Amino acid sequence: MPHKLFEVDKDIPNRKKHTYVKDLADPTEEIPKCNTTTIPGCMTERGCAFAGVKGVITGAVKDVIHVVHSPVGCTTYGCGSKRYPTSPDLPNGDKVPIDQFNLKYIMGTDLKESDVVFGGMKKLRQSILEAAKEFPFVTAIYTYATCTTGLIGDDMDAVAKELSEEIGKDVVAFNAPGFSGPTQSKGHHVGNLTLFNKLVGTKEPPETTPYDINLIGEYNIDGDLWVLKKYFDEIGINLLSKFTGDCSHDEICWMHRAKLSLVRCQRSATYIADLIEEKYGIPYIKVDFFGPKYCAENLITVAKHFGLEENAEKLIKREMAEIQPKLDFYKEKLQGKTVWVFSGGPKNWHLPEPLKEHLGMETVAVSTMFEHEDGYEKIKERVGEGTVIIDDPNSLELEEIIEVYKPDIILSGIKEKYIAHKLGVPCVLIHSYENGPYMGFEGFLNLAQDIYASIYSPVWNMLEFEETIDDEEELEAEIEGIIQEPEINAPKKEQQKEAP
Amino acid sequence: MSCANVMKRDRTAVINPLVTCQPMGAMYAVAGIRRGLPLVHGSQGCSTFVRYSFSRHFREPSEIAVTSLHEDAAVFGGRKNLISGIGNLAVRFKPSVIGAISTCSSEIIGDDMEGFIKIAKEELKEKMGEKEAEKIKIVAISTPSFVENHFKGYDNAIKALVTNLAQDPGDANEKVNIIPGMVNPGDIREIKHILSLMGVEGIVLTDISDPFDSPLRPSATETRPFYPKGGTTVEEIADSPNSLGTISLCEYSGSGALSLEKKYNVPAAVGPIPIGVRNTDQFLRNLKKFTDLEIPDSLLDERGLLIDSMADLASRYLFGRKVAIFGDPAISAGIARFVCELGMIPSVVCTGVENPEFVSEMEKVAKESDEPVDVMIGSDLRALEVKLEEEPVELMIGHSDGRLFAKHLDIPLVRVGYPVYDRAGYHRVPIVGYNGSVNLIDRITNTVFEKYYDKEHWKLQQ
Repeated sequence: MPHKLFEVDKDIPNRKKHTYVKDLADPTEEIPKCNTTTIPGCMTERGCAFAGVKGVITGAVKDVIHVVHSPVGCTTYGCGSKRYPTSPDLPNGDKVPIDQFNLKYIMGTDLKESDVVFGGMKKLRQSILEAAKEFPFVTAIYTYATCTTGLIGDDMDAVAKELSEEIGKDVVAFNAPGFSGPTQSKGHHVGNLTLFNKLVGTKEPPETTPYDINLIGEYNIDGDLWVLKKYFDEIGINLLSKFTGDCSHDEICWMHRAKLSLVRCQRSATYIADLIEEKYGIPYIKVDFFGPKYCAENLITVAKHFGLEENAEKLIKREMAEIQPKLDFYKEKLQGKTVWVFSGGPKNWHLPEPLKEHLGMETVAVSTMFEHEDGYEKIKERVGEGTVIIDDPNSLELEEIIEVYKPDIILSGIKEKYIAHKLGVPCVLIHSYENGPYMGFEGFLNLAQDIYASIYSPVWNMLEFEETIDDEEELEAEIEGIIQEPEINAPKKEQQKEAP
Repeated sequence: MSCANVMKRDRTAVINPLVTCQPMGAMYAVAGIRRGLPLVHGSQGCSTFVRYSFSRHFREPSEIAVTSLHEDAAVFGGRKNLISGIGNLAVRFKPSVIGAISTCSSEIIGDDMEGFIKIAKEELKEKMGEKEAEKIKIVAISTPSFVENHFKGYDNAIKALVTNLAQDPGDANEKVNIIPGMVNPGDIREIKHILSLMGVEGIVLTDISDPFDSPLRPSATETRPFYPKGGTTVEEIADSPNSLGTISLCEYSGSGALSLEKKYNVPAAVGPIPIGVRNTDQFLRNLKKFTDLEIPDSLLDERGLLIDSMADLASRYLFGRKVAIFGDPAISAGIARFVCELGMIPSVVCTGVENPEFVSEMEKVAKESDEPVDVMIGSDLRALEVKLEEEPVELMIGHSDGRLFAKHLDIPLVRVGYPVYDRAGYHRVPIVGYNGSVNLIDRITNTVFEKYYDKEHWKLQQ
């Protein structure tokens, strides 16, 4: 049977459909049930639609101010939560006058009880005007519905339209109240649709080249985008628009002028690539840049589209020569280690093969909080026999997965990290990263280094006090070995834990 | 003539808030109960954002359940979600207490949480048997997000927990109830240290010290489900009416203490947080009043160590320096008084709340200071930034959210309070009591050294 009910879920048997164990003999189209509502009280790790739109899609845009139409909490939590840095440079040569403006400020309408009773439109209007006054250099103002706005029924689009004219700048309303849709994925969708409907096609780029692309679904976590940009610059491909890492508002408005779109995060942003293709006939390619092999293959594919494959080949050759010795070192250290990938979406199918090919690591489990059918199909295709695929795992399942599949490391987000630690398992953050970027050739080395440092941190060999030491001489030799070893982190002792 | 100039935010919009909404405070309170689980009756973001925020600050797991309200609940109400949420949480996690916490959505759709909980309890009895079901206490905590802020949520939660879980008085227990407010694990441990030197036991309502700073010992960790070590037991909360008195360490979370006083005649002493000399002295006097115990020499020695470090450091390095203080009202108020004791000037104290108690506390501070104190209430970090651009200070004391503009204004920031995510271990190091105040004066002075003396390092010779 491809589906599996965790022991901890015996009281919520519906969870069985959400877990699939990869079985090569399984001829069916079965995948985990997904993109449906969470079971209340099950301790889900999921977030809300507002988090999806502001926290993922729009928060990376560097020259807009965000006005959250909410009681104070959503505004507080909407600030500085995701690590997407920006450069100050704007396409017209201007600079954003405040360093990392997108990470620094957030505004909110601070809704109170009387607003809930009488409506919050007046406050929204006033707040947007204040936003324009407080930060006069911004190119646009984005405003967000939240649960409160959704329930009291404020017409945000009307306010946005009216004020766009009054201020003379784009004011864009994102209608993704927290409760809409089963996961944050709903927010991604609304973000894509809104940006497409309101902005794409409304402005023209200052100049175009035959090599212009839209890089879609790349949010510049820890500088990922800058790694890719460097490659594209060298190959001769121009990032006309980014969506939305290190992106300016205007870039979104002229996405229709690119020759090709690349979709990096295929969960959160394929929507807009589809819409652009449909309306403007611009084709798109789904790309992976995690891991040297995928990165090389995809750079070639993109370069080929423009007849620039020679440049790409040259770059790849040089980069591979640079990183190969280091990769070999990590592979030697990490060979046979097992991993559980718990990512937003695409990393579930981006990472297992590179981890296997370049680091010799086995992926025993993959999971995501908000993936849809198309993503699970890809995941199923790419993971190996016996890998368990879990949709929306909850805390108790997390414990059981650790116990049953005994991963040597978990790649996940911060909510899971510390509970993994308490159970004695190291964890590397792959939503916001530890020491990124993780993208591209050198990025994969950073990921490998963080995995290596986490697994080989001496702490895991000291978890419990030992009353007696069996072989004191051996221990001393080990400690001496560690001290004499020039690379301080280099291991002398394999993990005590048994392989599954 | 020193005075407190009270100024309110002069904008409708909030820019970089200093507060968050009520449910977070309630989650904080419930997390301090042994096997206590918050169940947020709202959207998934309401639990996820707070779990994220707690994990970022404490570097610990934070288990908070949610009823996952969606569009159907917006139309038909959240009855089904709350009842099934309680049921699923109860059977899978077997908590001692479920704190059912309302949010903006559940309040707006008008869910009768008390009524739903009654039904959920009946269902639990059928599912688990009466005996097992009775073991799980379910407490409704009303925390509409669009009313006040996280401080009020904490206060409401403590009151709801005491009201629902305290039992009718029995034998006197010779203990003192402590309501710590939203402080760090290190602070609660310091309070317990003071109590132990006094020779009195405390009931901490509620005690996040172990749950949010828990040992990594897989062999001794409760798993399936994971529960952190420690926390206040339900029995302790039930026993709280038998205590000698209740001390709330925070003027903005006094209603639990006052309700124990009103209902069970347990005398209450509310605030201030014992940061600095006089506030800690006041805490000891309250303890003495309730217990009739003498203040031991060991504690007076700790006081002496604080006074000693103040004598050594305050006049030469700190005296007359202007400070801006921001963050939660209780901690900001305590620090404002302490900097006055150090001879520093609390030029600006900025907080997101508007409580009259905070304003009157600041009037006291202004009397203690030689210079006027600008008290920004209902304010935000942007307002503080603009103010400090115009009237700079030499030092900022507050949490990590002020780090970017502190850097921009080139004013050193001493990190205290919640959240601190860009420095390590600050949740473990107390700032309350005499010991905590020593930590604080060291932290402040070392920051002053780094900023104002390193250039002319010879000034630090003798």
